[in-house]
Amino acid sequence: MQLKANQYPRESARVLREEPQVRDSVTAATLNFDAKRRQMYGEIEAETWRGWAEAVKNHVLTHLDTYLPQAEAALQSNGVQVHWAENAEAAQRIVAEIARANGVKKVVKAKTMVSEELGINPLLESLGLEVLETDLGEYIIQLLGQPPSHIVGPAIHLNLEQIRELFHRKFGTPLEAPPEDLAGVARKLLREGFLQAEMGISGGNFLVAETGTLALIENEGNIRLSTSAPRIHVALVGIEKLLPRFSDLSVFLSLTARAATGQRLGTFVSLIQGPRRPHEPDGPEAVHVVLVDNGRSSVLADTEAWETLRCVRCAACLNACPVYRQTGGHAYGYVYSGPIGAILAPGLVGLENTKPLPYASSLCGACFQACPVRIPIPKLLLTWRNRAVEQGLQPKAEGAAIRAYAAAMTRPWAYTLGSKALRMLPKEALDNTVLPVVKAWTEGRAGLKPSPKSFRELWKEGI
Amino acid sequence: MRDPILRRIHRALEHRPRLELPPPLTLPSPSPEEALRLFQERLGSNGGETLYLPDLDAARAWLAQLAQGYSGVALGHQLPEALRPDLPQLPPEEAPLGVSWALGAVAETGTVILSSADGRRAQLLPPTHVVFVPQERLYGTLLEALTALRDALPAALGLHSGPSKSADIGQIMVRGVHGPGRLIAAVVAAPPG
Amino acid sequence: MRVALFVTCLTDQFFAEAGVAAVRLLRSLGCEVEFPEGQTCCGQPAYNAGYWNEARQMATHTLEVFNEAEYVVLPSGSCTTMVRAFYPELYRDTPQRFTQAEALSHKTFELAEFIVKVLGVTQLGEGLRGQHIAYHHGCHALRELGIKNEPLTLLKNAGAEVVNWEAAQECCGFGGLFSVKLPEVALSMADRKLQTLPKVDYLTSADGGCMLHLAGRIENRKLKLPVKPLASVLWEAHAHQAEG
Repeated sequence: MQLKANQYPRESARVLREEPQVRDSVTAATLNFDAKRRQMYGEIEAETWRGWAEAVKNHVLTHLDTYLPQAEAALQSNGVQVHWAENAEAAQRIVAEIARANGVKKVVKAKTMVSEELGINPLLESLGLEVLETDLGEYIIQLLGQPPSHIVGPAIHLNLEQIRELFHRKFGTPLEAPPEDLAGVARKLLREGFLQAEMGISGGNFLVAETGTLALIENEGNIRLSTSAPRIHVALVGIEKLLPRFSDLSVFLSLTARAATGQRLGTFVSLIQGPRRPHEPDGPEAVHVVLVDNGRSSVLADTEAWETLRCVRCAACLNACPVYRQTGGHAYGYVYSGPIGAILAPGLVGLENTKPLPYASSLCGACFQACPVRIPIPKLLLTWRNRAVEQGLQPKAEGAAIRAYAAAMTRPWAYTLGSKALRMLPKEALDNTVLPVVKAWTEGRAGLKPSPKSFRELWKEGI
Repeated sequence: MRDPILRRIHRALEHRPRLELPPPLTLPSPSPEEALRLFQERLGSNGGETLYLPDLDAARAWLAQLAQGYSGVALGHQLPEALRPDLPQLPPEEAPLGVSWALGAVAETGTVILSSADGRRAQLLPPTHVVFVPQERLYGTLLEALTALRDALPAALGLHSGPSKSADIGQIMVRGVHGPGRLIAAVVAAPPG
Repeated sequence: MRVALFVTCLTDQFFAEAGVAAVRLLRSLGCEVEFPEGQTCCGQPAYNAGYWNEARQMATHTLEVFNEAEYVVLPSGSCTTMVRAFYPELYRDTPQRFTQAEALSHKTFELAEFIVKVLGVTQLGEGLRGQHIAYHHGCHALRELGIKNEPLTLLKNAGAEVVNWEAAQECCGFGGLFSVKLPEVALSMADRKLQTLPKVDYLTSADGGCMLHLAGRIENRKLKLPVKPLASVLWEAHAHQAEG
């Protein structure tokens, strides 16, 4: 999707003003996800699991230079063709070449965020291929020409009426059709897709270095079908997705499902070791794994932000985030939204292009408590804010104001003077004014009312 | 492409502490009786159906009854002869019923483990999916199951923990979106053969 | 026991009566209360906005002001968090200041937390009997410091019914400069808090910023709901017993 992160302040306000149903749909969906996550964390020793998962990911990331070649060798010995993509353009070239070499005309997509990151759909469409998103939510937003608004539930910003209207317009279903019927229509269309497509494209939740196993989590069965029915399976996998041991999957699969959707395990988990073997009845003839860097190695080199790479894309932080809940993901103007998007974006595409995102948080800390791999999101949001200041990316007036405020606050006489002045201001000054910060405050909030006497005056008078 | 990426990663990690790998996280394992109960409870709470077949006669009787509701079946390639319902065989994309033979099952998560060697389409395309699980391969925890399977992995494993579902339409749960809308796991005590 | 009151700039300017209540309450519980007059702002707004040099200047000032204190008590959860959790972070590269910040961190407490954990008092009196109260948990106190039960215990033991509020632990949308940088989002968050609020006599919280934000929104929307600082409410809980 097109990067529009710098428009977040305007876009978030616009969504709230013009699309109020987004707030309602997203709030309802995320509160539901979040409640189920809590319930499923409550069933396990969540702190032990989270601490363990954090440690395993930290180990992998600090040994990525050994695990990546190990994974490559394991994949190759399983008969998988391994490709390396330095950036989005390289990944696009690789996918285009696989499609060309195999005479592919129709592609089924299993929900993958990295494909959104890399712009795979526009590429394939520009080559004249038919591309079908097969996750029901992804299919719905594909029909609408929208990007996903949530990492796990791409269409949670839409309500039932909007989807009914869409299906009515596209397929002539009745406006009062129950969700089962709408899903039935999609199922029928997409079933043809699975059976006709020559190529299936997936992401990857985990890649096990020891066995070359690609793990994929889902609830609908579309990922299993996309990776089983077509002749060719292409998996796009971020280089941070590695796990050392096959047995590590036991915790990571369950913890991710608990964090993402409040399940003990996704309804369907695919553990893929390669193409169909000689005595197997079905499965793809060829499996390609594209290992994607696209900025990840620079994040790894960042001695603070590298912890972001532990992310398993469960979206628990989005579900827990009261800021995300107000607007959903589109306002963020970047493929990964919410708290994790706000710390991933500056690392992957540059702070100057995503400057408002680290500020798109009240720093309430709910994201950290939800995160299954304990990414210190609030701390990293602060780190990126500090970098924005240090790099001179913040408005000059803001810096001047903060410096003046700090100067006053380190001089008690100046503070006392300010305190007196606050009480001598005409009332209108604090109700509505030309001062932008007060104006921003009073639009929607009553004016500030200082106490008649400050505490320090009262203390001097005697308590 | 490979080498520049690996070089960058190596440089990124050059002067950094290399953190240690913790040993696998183990969970207490339930007893076999407890495992069976837990498996049924958990798969049940995911919307799956379960039953226990104490011997081959029971299995045959249940299969005969099952067959009455269907016009044909797609069969798993590893399904023992004795567990094949008496129905015409159909290709998976046309069959109303798929019957598979599981590599194992997991009590902790209410999961059946399916092998690509058994055939994936029969596990995914028919609207109803029956899976036979040999009781001796009902594992207490997912870790135990994965450890047991690690050294003989097929091209793909499918871990199914319930019927296909989606809440993508207005947050309302719908079953049978792409995969089977009905999953029936039959644990067989004494597998034939 | 000597307690230095760090009244915090928002309480000083906007909730002066809560500062007075805190002094009376602490004295009544046997503390000798000091008010180091050099104190100003803890620096949190600058810290949260990314201006760490400026925040560090204010932190250094505060370290000096409270250097001699036995205990430092604040009627504010987020300022307590700034001093206790974030000051040491600011001095990661200056060991001497770091040690000083750690020392201050260890003797700094939010008011309700201090009463329960340090003074060991869980029963202030019964001055809140019959009152229906909504308690807004400030995010920093709740999630950074784990202060959750202390204020609730004091309120309940004083006879108040703290109502079940589904959004009690959700952020109200204040977030310092957040509330003016993204005012529409901040107000929408306040609305979610207020829309889910059951009928109560009043709303209370240990965070001045949250209260300014919520009270401003309440007034703007012409809702009839008083907002009272926790320190004032705790003094009310205790007062009649202290006087009697």
